[in-house]
Amino acid sequence: MIGRITTLMTTESVLANINSVQDQLANTEQVLSTGKSINQPSDNPYGASLAVQLQQDLSGLSSYSSNVTDGTAWTSSASSALTTIQSIVQRAQELVVEAANGTQSPADLAASGDEINQLIDSVKQAANTQYNGQYIFAGTATGTAPYATGASDTYLGNSGAVTREIGPNSSVQVNADLSSLLGNGQAANDGGLLDTLRSVAADLSSGTSASVADLSSKQLANLQGNLNTLEGLQASVGAAQNRLTLAGTRIQSLQQNDTAVLSNTEDANMAQAMTTFTNEQAAFTAALRAGANIVQSSLMDFLK
Amino acid sequence: MTIPSFTGLNTALEGLQASQAAIDTTGENIANANTPGYTRQVVNTAASDPIVIQGRNPQGGGTQLGTGVDITSISRIRDQFLDVQYRAQNTVASNANTMATQLQQVQTALNEPSSDGLQAQLSSFWSAWTSLAQSPTSAAAQQAVVDAGQTLASTFQSVSAQMTTVQTQAAQQYATLTGTNGQVEQDANQIATLNTQIAQATQAGQTPNTLLDQRDQLVDDLSGLAQVSVTPHSDGTVDVNFGDAATPLVKGSTVTWPQTLTSKAGGQLGALLNLSDTSSSGTIQQYLNSLNGVAKQVIDSVNGLQPPSSPFFGGTDASSITVTASPSSITTSSSSTSGPDLAQSIANLSGQGADQSYAAFVAQVGGSVQAAQNTQTTQQAILTAVSNQRQSVSGVSLDQEMTNLIQYQQAYQASARVMNAISTTFSDLMNVTL
Repeated sequence: MIGRITTLMTTESVLANINSVQDQLANTEQVLSTGKSINQPSDNPYGASLAVQLQQDLSGLSSYSSNVTDGTAWTSSASSALTTIQSIVQRAQELVVEAANGTQSPADLAASGDEINQLIDSVKQAANTQYNGQYIFAGTATGTAPYATGASDTYLGNSGAVTREIGPNSSVQVNADLSSLLGNGQAANDGGLLDTLRSVAADLSSGTSASVADLSSKQLANLQGNLNTLEGLQASVGAAQNRLTLAGTRIQSLQQNDTAVLSNTEDANMAQAMTTFTNEQAAFTAALRAGANIVQSSLMDFLK
Repeated sequence: MTIPSFTGLNTALEGLQASQAAIDTTGENIANANTPGYTRQVVNTAASDPIVIQGRNPQGGGTQLGTGVDITSISRIRDQFLDVQYRAQNTVASNANTMATQLQQVQTALNEPSSDGLQAQLSSFWSAWTSLAQSPTSAAAQQAVVDAGQTLASTFQSVSAQMTTVQTQAAQQYATLTGTNGQVEQDANQIATLNTQIAQATQAGQTPNTLLDQRDQLVDDLSGLAQVSVTPHSDGTVDVNFGDAATPLVKGSTVTWPQTLTSKAGGQLGALLNLSDTSSSGTIQQYLNSLNGVAKQVIDSVNGLQPPSSPFFGGTDASSITVTASPSSITTSSSSTSGPDLAQSIANLSGQGADQSYAAFVAQVGGSVQAAQNTQTTQQAILTAVSNQRQSVSGVSLDQEMTNLIQYQQAYQASARVMNAISTTFSDLMNVTL
């Protein structure tokens, strides 16, 4: 049986339908204007939670990425300091080889000795390289200069490793233990580079034939040994740089991936939203037009 | 065969009166077409008792001649069963409506997913620790950690405060509705007064349609606040049971209010009691507990990586979290040679316990708001359907009233014509006898 349709029912249902279409239209409009399909958690609770987790992931990745950038800067600084020291050692080798020939006058030897002393200062200067206000060769005591300028050659830092997290439970050591190369100077007699260079300088300035013999018999070999240690350090810094570069690439691709998933989750599909919008607009116009006609007409129109 | 001379005139008069009553009732219906709670009325008529006309043959019995029409009553067209359905549905819909509207406010306070919600502040906080781990001695990095911590703490506090506000507002709204001269009391008093008036009218044999409409409208009104059940009595009065109150709200002319309700009362009041409930069964309280859990995880996990003597955060939950550390009191290393291991460990908390709990919390709020909104939409649709059914029975259709009007108008004209005809026959008779 078809029930009675009263005037109030008609107007109320016309209003309810117009409101409902308008509500949908407003929702779609919000999607279009914000460009997001999830504007509040209730739009899609799982999606909203996923979006929050992806944002957490992205934030974590950007921390790792910042660590990679920072670590790369550390290793680059370390690498260039090591290169400087390498050229210094090579210069010292040249001077020692020339002096060991035994053909130089005591004045020439003394001049070479002066140059070695200059080179010692340069080595210390390179060892005191700073990045972002931190001494990169002082272990974890980054606020302390590892070597004081002047006569004292004692290492002032520690042997701690400075590491950067480049992934969950994955870290890279970005500093090099330069004290294993430089040592604690002549007093310690540890065969470190500073010990060697101080001995060379002492030999040159004394200029005696015994000291010249010491240069050729002992110090040349010592310098070669120091150079080998240096190459070891350079290799480990280079390896760290490689790991950082690889980690950077990996993080970047993870970031792209997460961003894509995040976009798929919370961003609106514009083509779809636009189509829905057009459909709903047509429905809205139709509802208005139909409503206007239904509400207007009544039996009274036809009673004369 | 004798027929009393003026029988026909009387019959025509009754016809005129019945038509007039019908036209008046139609007018009343049209006038009240848009009055809320109005029930359309119809004039019930019956042919009046006939008179017996004796024939010539005394043994032949007689013939019954109709004498017109009686107006027996003017009654409301109403289906009590649909009233019960409508009120039950109105209770459910009003409950869902209140829940959805209030929970929407909570969700707005959360402001997720966005680039400035709590999640973004958590991420900034962890990032600040990453920067500090990179430059543990940098005063700027230390300051940045404290700043990010303070922003995080104040975001926790403001989200918590906004939720508490919704909770408090629900309690206030409940107090307003149920307090002295609140809607419940006013409706109950009016129903009691109407009960008395209706009983008097019923006793006098009348059908107090308008009063009945008013009372039904008031019960409808109450059904939005909490579930109602109505027990009618033969004297025309009704008893109204309200929510899960122990005693009937209205019994005859007696009102028993205030009474204690629980969230099981249903309707708007039940929803408000649920929302303002500060025990663990209150919906907003559950949100607050989850949020407090996240805040506590942040506080405990960060403080656990700082020396007990100088914790980073103070407080125990989302409303009390503060930053107690100063830039210079932050400890980045566990020993002199370990490097900034503590700062790094705190930075590594990103995406761990607190972050995961927060993501789950967002899903919890989103899920229950979505459920509330879905319930709201469904229940509203059902309410509209039931309301339409009731309207279909009781509502005024102007087209129908127009049709009736024409019908009654024509009946009136015809009765008048009958009267005219009888009048003419009389005058014919008079002229002949002159």
